Amino acid sequence: MNKGLALFLKKITGPFYINRRLAKYYLDRLKKNKLSLAGLGFIVLLALVGIFGPLFVKDPQKSDFNINNLPPLGFSIQESVYDIKTDTFTTKVIAGRPDHPLGTDSKGRDMLAMLVSGARISLFVGLLATGIAIFLGTFIGVLSAYLGGWADNVMMRFTDVMMTFPFFLLLVLIVFIFGPSLAIIVLVIGLTGWTGAARLIRSEALSLRTRDFVTASKALGASDARVMFMHLIPNVISLVIVMATLSIPGVIMAEAALSFIGLGDPMSTSWGTILNAGQHSLDTAWWVAVEPGIMLFFTVLAFNFFGDGLRDAFDPKADI
Amino acid sequence: MNTNSIQLLHIRDLKKYYSVTAGLIPRPVGEIKAVDGVSLSINEGEVLGLVGESGCGKSTLGRTILRLEEPTSGDITFNGVNVVRLTKNGLRKLRSKVQIVFQDPDSSLDPRMTVGDSIEEALIVHDVKEPEIRAARVAELMEKVGLEAGFVERYPHEFSGGQKQRIGIARALAMNPQLVIADEPVSALDVSVQAQILNLMMDIKEEDGLAYLFISHDLSVVKYISDRVAVMYLGKIVELADKREFFQHPLHPYTEALFSAIASLRPSGKERILLKGDVPSPLNPPAGCRFHTRCHRVMQVCSKEEPELKEAALSHYVACHLYS
Amino acid sequence: MKVAYLSDDRMTGGTVLEVKNLKTWFFTHRGIVKAVNGVDFALNKGECLCLVGESGCGKSVTALSILRLFDSPPGKIVEGEISYSGADLAKCPVEDLRKIRGKDIAMVFQNAQSALNPVFTIGDQIVEQIKTHMDVSKDAALQKARSLLSEMSIPQADRALKMYPHQMSGGMKQRAMIAMSLSCDPGILIADEPTTAVDVTIRAQIMHILGELKTNRKMSIIFITHDLSLVREIGDRAAVVYAGKVVEVAPVADILRNPAHPYTIGLIGCLPDISTELKRLPSIPGSTPNPIDIPTGCAFHPRCPKVMDVCRKVEPELLNISDVQAVACHLYDSQGSTK
Repeated sequence: MNKGLALFLKKITGPFYINRRLAKYYLDRLKKNKLSLAGLGFIVLLALVGIFGPLFVKDPQKSDFNINNLPPLGFSIQESVYDIKTDTFTTKVIAGRPDHPLGTDSKGRDMLAMLVSGARISLFVGLLATGIAIFLGTFIGVLSAYLGGWADNVMMRFTDVMMTFPFFLLLVLIVFIFGPSLAIIVLVIGLTGWTGAARLIRSEALSLRTRDFVTASKALGASDARVMFMHLIPNVISLVIVMATLSIPGVIMAEAALSFIGLGDPMSTSWGTILNAGQHSLDTAWWVAVEPGIMLFFTVLAFNFFGDGLRDAFDPKADI
Repeated sequence: MNTNSIQLLHIRDLKKYYSVTAGLIPRPVGEIKAVDGVSLSINEGEVLGLVGESGCGKSTLGRTILRLEEPTSGDITFNGVNVVRLTKNGLRKLRSKVQIVFQDPDSSLDPRMTVGDSIEEALIVHDVKEPEIRAARVAELMEKVGLEAGFVERYPHEFSGGQKQRIGIARALAMNPQLVIADEPVSALDVSVQAQILNLMMDIKEEDGLAYLFISHDLSVVKYISDRVAVMYLGKIVELADKREFFQHPLHPYTEALFSAIASLRPSGKERILLKGDVPSPLNPPAGCRFHTRCHRVMQVCSKEEPELKEAALSHYVACHLYS
Repeated sequence: MKVAYLSDDRMTGGTVLEVKNLKTWFFTHRGIVKAVNGVDFALNKGECLCLVGESGCGKSVTALSILRLFDSPPGKIVEGEISYSGADLAKCPVEDLRKIRGKDIAMVFQNAQSALNPVFTIGDQIVEQIKTHMDVSKDAALQKARSLLSEMSIPQADRALKMYPHQMSGGMKQRAMIAMSLSCDPGILIADEPTTAVDVTIRAQIMHILGELKTNRKMSIIFITHDLSLVREIGDRAAVVYAGKVVEVAPVADILRNPAHPYTIGLIGCLPDISTELKRLPSIPGSTPNPIDIPTGCAFHPRCPKVMDVCRKVEPELLNISDVQAVACHLYDSQGSTK
């Protein structure tokens, strides 16, 4: 079994490290796409920030109402302060401070710290939910294509049903029963988001299944499992990688959207939650909503550019 | 010719039908009779050439022998064992004794596996456990087919069509099979490479005493490599004879037309025989003799009664009313 | 030394198309693919010239170059002349080419399935072709289409006109494609491996039709193939192509009886010719060169049984060795010893 796993991994990654010419070929094609490289750079940066960042910034949960609603460094904002003793409004100018370079939110929590921990959450949710979805999608897609016949029919109709499933309603229901949490979001997105991948992977696997090398393997006496793992899956892997990369931004946005409307964990500092908190104070503390918005924007863009570049690099017909 | 008469493979009245379904709730509306009652046998060390045009069922026949397609009815016996009734383990053992070589060198090798791994797969599946033994065998096979053993770590796209076909042959030979089903093995290759591969197959046959079921649409190739020749049309065998007899005295009108289409085979002075119309659909084969709609020597009885494969001359079988 | 052109005047008079030193290269990021690298031949009126060679030798690209049908980046005719009717097709503007395409020079492809538009009926496609070049009514065009289909021995031409490609068998599609190519009565027909994808018995039908075209319509045909037996059947003259160059040109009978170039000799030798008994097939070692990486000197030298030192360095030119036969090989020129 272990041997099998090692061989399986070798089949998937093998073409890339053993055959350096092949790896170099794909890398060269990828390098020609500057946007794609920029996207990759951003993603790497984000990952570093997400993994190591929290060590270097303040505690995002620490609230200090004395310094709430501080603007980012370099900005200043006018605030009307009501003085209860004199029953007057005095206008004060509050400027950003270097120890809170991105400002603070209404509870006095440091924006930079929150964004950094939000990065970690977004990436975590993105990767995990995508991982679950892609894993399920690949499994169902390949199995369905390989078995064919009524099994294929049944699985694809099941996929159709899942596609139309109101996952949003499901989420509301679960949150209602169990209370909001990030884990729930990850599970729900993962368990309902595999349908698109399943279809695409199935069609790729279908065309592979008719190729002679699959028949040859069966003719040699290989078991069905062996054919699927050793032949079909390694040959769809580039499609899987591209799909995964292009799914991550969608997942991140989905989590952000859900947190934004309040279905996420209010205690977490995901970008969506921050956005949710900041939506009411756009006129007084616009940075609380804008900053996570900017982060989401660039993150999604980066993944899309990189994913597009990957797809073009793997596609032999793309003219690079 | 090899007179070793140990019978290796015997097929009796083999049928493979595909049902065609239509409708929202799929209902069978017809059947494609890809193989419709084929009987033949192959002896140890002999090459049986199977000729026919596309859609005649020759490829399906080849695959059904290995049970890559499940036969609808009929018997297949290999080395005395009933192939049709084999269960998983028995089938695996069969697949070490009977192997197949495919037509298209580009799709017959997994592009993500090194060629060494592709060849080794057979050994792994058949429980050759020690890696050193496997590696040695792979190297031996590479050299047997004329490739350098050092190339085992390369990927299929680094080889030419002819070389890929050699690798396919090496893979088929891994477990020392007794019968190799060669499904149009040289049709996709250039003429100069065809010759190389045919020579290789002949050499291997002599060295290892292999038997081949050599499927092809190319009569000249079949003439070179076969000991006996069978012709298929729309799922049935219409003629079967020893090579010399076959090429000197073709009997069935379809065979005559095939010969006539190849200029160098056409009897001198005779006009080329042009068959009327196209090959009928296997969903709806003509009544009586399937060939009667295009036959240039058709008679009344041909549209009513199907002719049986009968011996018309010594060891020369033909399914045609002209001879019964 | 310039090549002497093969206009065999024993044929029915005059050259209709002449290709001189044609070079069509494809500029890709992996390098320059020299698909056609110095092709010379002439086509005479009423004759069938066969371009013979194995896959990757450049014969298809040569045909596409005549009508400039290849993808223009990355392909480009870098050198050479294609003389037709007083003009140079290699250099003339595309609008002029469009007038010729389909009307004066027509092309038939290998795979009828992909050459025919699946969403239009055969009748519509032929009519479209006719109306592009000729000012006739739709009815007249339909009449012509019907008579063309009958000429191709397609049964029930009226019904056939209304059929879609997927409803027709392989042989019928091929014949429909030939009918389409004839719709404007072209003088020259380029047939690119028209019988490779069809069965032997259908091949016989198609070859028969092509033969009739030559006799009845007096068309000049460029027939591209890798199958020497077809060359023997229909060709008047043959040009053997290797690695993008013509290495030998001669009337078919001469080339089959006395092949001069070692490649031609090898090619003829390794045919499992049905009329001889052979113990072992002679074959040519090695494989055809990749057009991105053509050997220096004579492209065939790595595989040639008669290779000499000069072959590795100098490219041989196509020169006459008799009235009607020309070879590009150092065995026959002043730089090698004459044989």
